[in-house]
Amino acid sequence: MTSPGDAAPVKPPPSFSPGVPRGASKSRHPEQRESTASLDSELAESRTESSPTPPLSATSSELPIRTDSRTLRSSTPQLARSSLGSPFDAQVDGSDDLRSVITRSFSPTIAVYASEDTDELVRNKGFKGGFGELIRPFGETVPGKVVIRDSVGASRAWEDYGVRFVDLKGFGRAPLGRDARDSPLTQMEEVLEKHLESSDISLSGSIRPKDALGLPPMSPLCKLLFRQLLSATHPAPHETFGHPVASVIAISSRNTAPLETLRQLYAGSSTGEQRLPDWVHQEYLRYYVLVHDEERDDFDESTKLYDQMKRHFGLHCHLLRLRSSQCVVTDDDSIQLPQSEWLSPLERLSGAGEAETLVDLDTDGTPCLFDSDVTAIRTFIRELVAQSVIPFMENRVAVWNDQVASRRRGISGRFMSMSRRWAGFGSSSRSSMTGSSSGSSGNYDSAHNFYQPDSPEAVLRKMADFAFMLRDWKLSASTYEIVRSDFGNDKAWKYHAGAHEMCAVSMLLNPMAMSSKIKLENVDQMFETACYSYLTRCDDALHALRCLALAVELLKSRGGTATESAAKWAMRVVDFGLVGSVGQILFSERISACYASKVPVSGAKWGARRRKAGMWSILAADQWLKAGKPTLASACLEEAERLYADVLENDGIFPMPEMQSFVDELRHAVKMEYLGSRGFDNTQDEPASAIETLGGLEETSEKLVRRNHRRSLIGLPTQLDTGALNLAQGARDAENPPNDDFERA
Amino acid sequence: MSYYFTILSPTDTPLFNIAFGTSKGGGDGIARFRFPDTAQYMNQFIIHSSLDIVEEAQWTNGGMYLKHIDTYPPAAAYISAFLTPSGARFLLLHQPPQLPSATPTGSSSLLNASGSATRASSNSIAANPTSPQTEEAVRQFMNEVYDTYVKTSMSPFYKQGMEIRSPVFRGRVTAAGKKWL
Repeated sequence: MTSPGDAAPVKPPPSFSPGVPRGASKSRHPEQRESTASLDSELAESRTESSPTPPLSATSSELPIRTDSRTLRSSTPQLARSSLGSPFDAQVDGSDDLRSVITRSFSPTIAVYASEDTDELVRNKGFKGGFGELIRPFGETVPGKVVIRDSVGASRAWEDYGVRFVDLKGFGRAPLGRDARDSPLTQMEEVLEKHLESSDISLSGSIRPKDALGLPPMSPLCKLLFRQLLSATHPAPHETFGHPVASVIAISSRNTAPLETLRQLYAGSSTGEQRLPDWVHQEYLRYYVLVHDEERDDFDESTKLYDQMKRHFGLHCHLLRLRSSQCVVTDDDSIQLPQSEWLSPLERLSGAGEAETLVDLDTDGTPCLFDSDVTAIRTFIRELVAQSVIPFMENRVAVWNDQVASRRRGISGRFMSMSRRWAGFGSSSRSSMTGSSSGSSGNYDSAHNFYQPDSPEAVLRKMADFAFMLRDWKLSASTYEIVRSDFGNDKAWKYHAGAHEMCAVSMLLNPMAMSSKIKLENVDQMFETACYSYLTRCDDALHALRCLALAVELLKSRGGTATESAAKWAMRVVDFGLVGSVGQILFSERISACYASKVPVSGAKWGARRRKAGMWSILAADQWLKAGKPTLASACLEEAERLYADVLENDGIFPMPEMQSFVDELRHAVKMEYLGSRGFDNTQDEPASAIETLGGLEETSEKLVRRNHRRSLIGLPTQLDTGALNLAQGARDAENPPNDDFERA
Repeated sequence: MSYYFTILSPTDTPLFNIAFGTSKGGGDGIARFRFPDTAQYMNQFIIHSSLDIVEEAQWTNGGMYLKHIDTYPPAAAYISAFLTPSGARFLLLHQPPQLPSATPTGSSSLLNASGSATRASSNSIAANPTSPQTEEAVRQFMNEVYDTYVKTSMSPFYKQGMEIRSPVFRGRVTAAGKKWL
């Protein structure tokens, strides 16, 4: 144990005290427990949903019995893809809110830097990745409401706030070692293909639920692609979402020299080998955690140490009480570790076994935790986020807004930036332009392609990102607006693209703004610029794709005329060839969904885009078939039939002959492939017989339906009976045996 | 530039179809669409899907000639429409020629389309499918076809809603195409 005097060299963290009273934090609120319990039950529910369905239901869904008169014509096997998703789809389906997915994907990053002994303790519990792996899944949903105050002082509570924990040790270095073949985009394609293969076998007969408008929600595969896109980006200089907002420095009660270790960890993270790259702002919140081993160490000792820590480091401390023994599934109060929602494609690929563990709950792929541990971690994360990280971010935004941004707003600020620009032209000497750091603004390091983190441009960008993560989209939009032209003047193209992208995104996320059409054109223009800068000037396909996908989804959710530009952007994605073969099909589906979401003008028949939506669905079905996925093709085909049902005069008959023959052929091919994949007799050399059996199957099934409707079950045995007795009688008589009996009696 | 011209009845039944290529600037009048020969149904799909826009545009646009109303970017196909008082619709799909360097799958991008446009600048119609010159040429074509259409539908042997099989009509449409497009 070191004395307080020994610890004097520990530099107090350069943080801003949030001014939140400490006392209330330690008590565990009962409603908090409740919310965690409900979370768990929800998770369990979604787990059971994704479990493999018994074969009975699967076979019952094979018979193409259709009752809907509109779609009677379609005889494609009715299938759905609702079983393909990960457990998280069910959670999102509940709110079915893409905006929530988008906002949660841009959540603050918190770096985790744990001492050796802490990692050792956690490893004993069965977590190979150490402390960071243990707390990471819990950070994605902060239990309870998180109240955030925006720049004008209005506070708003968010239910779905989350943070992302990353390991400080590998920060910003991971992507460099990979070869070009393994770019995130190809990885993403790989994940999709793997997912397709693993889920193709286990199909369930449930029908996709439809929402209020009768539109099916985003298919799980599209959702997977979208999520991956949002989590695939690595920390980069031009956007600060991946840069740590805070860092958790953790030691355990096993440590013999705790304060000394804390000092070392702090020094290591700020100057030592764990120092972040130069383009990251080095001023971030340090949060100190003491992990107390409930089973081996004395709690009084730990409390004493914790008090000492509080004295040294102020409010940003936490005492986390964990049990050190490993938990197994069979324990009474074991809870399975929730799966992390935002896995990058690489992590998904490396953890390929996870797909099986999702289905079979018995396997020991995912480690378990004691109930008390889970509660402790949740409390810790809530306290960390609500009382330290959020106030810190609010504070930074306020300070930067005051010191940097306000100078640029208003007339004088504009004049300043203008005069600077003209001064650049005025001096116009080539030498000043080519000089290393004396370009148009002087802050952009064109050799290394980044701004120094303390230059006004970088600070503004960081401030806007902070505001974005705090969901103050009005402030973030206006800040991006200020800074985006600067980036263009400095020819910092990646920054330029990023600012345009995020400006448009925050404009679209802001529920208040954006009613007029002019603004929509503005947004379109910004996406265009961002896309051009990313693709042509920076050759960064991943960010371009992310930008376009965000544009598609956000514009689609706007409704009205925005859906058409959403479809336009989705077509652009397909056009540019940014995605692989599976991605192309998924984006075709998205185009269809965009058009389908355009509703007709109230009271009028026109204004919808049913035909366009139907066409894209058919094209997607065609592509799925070519990719050898008849089940998905038939789902698309079904969707197309539903869309076309409203616009075709005769049920399901296209007026144009070539279209009709194409659709017929497609239907037939899908059916053949599907039956073939399900093990039906599908010999390629005898297609005629296959058709016959198919036709027979269809007919019998329809007959079955009719009989069930017409006759009661009681009538059936007598009918059989009399049919056997009166063989000589005609079929007509056999149809009405009760009459006979009645007359005889 | 390749063209696909369709007359649709008010109930969306096709009354007349013709595909032809440009005859201007040394063109041989043969249609060369970007789709492979097995995928000619795409023309009908695109035309059919643009009916959504026609339905909307006919209430917002006063004229009979609706000009260029729709685009299908993956194949750089442009649709112009013309309404007749009887409810029949003339739809013309026009597609600028494909560059030899472009991908043969028909998924070439808009960038290629504009690139080809600048190169084939000798012909103002083929150069830019949305330019005023093209709009004007299509208008002339549509008006001439409308003239012929009215005469054909006046025939005592023609009932409204029937497919137009008259070789004279086909010949006249071809001639109009040669003249204007």
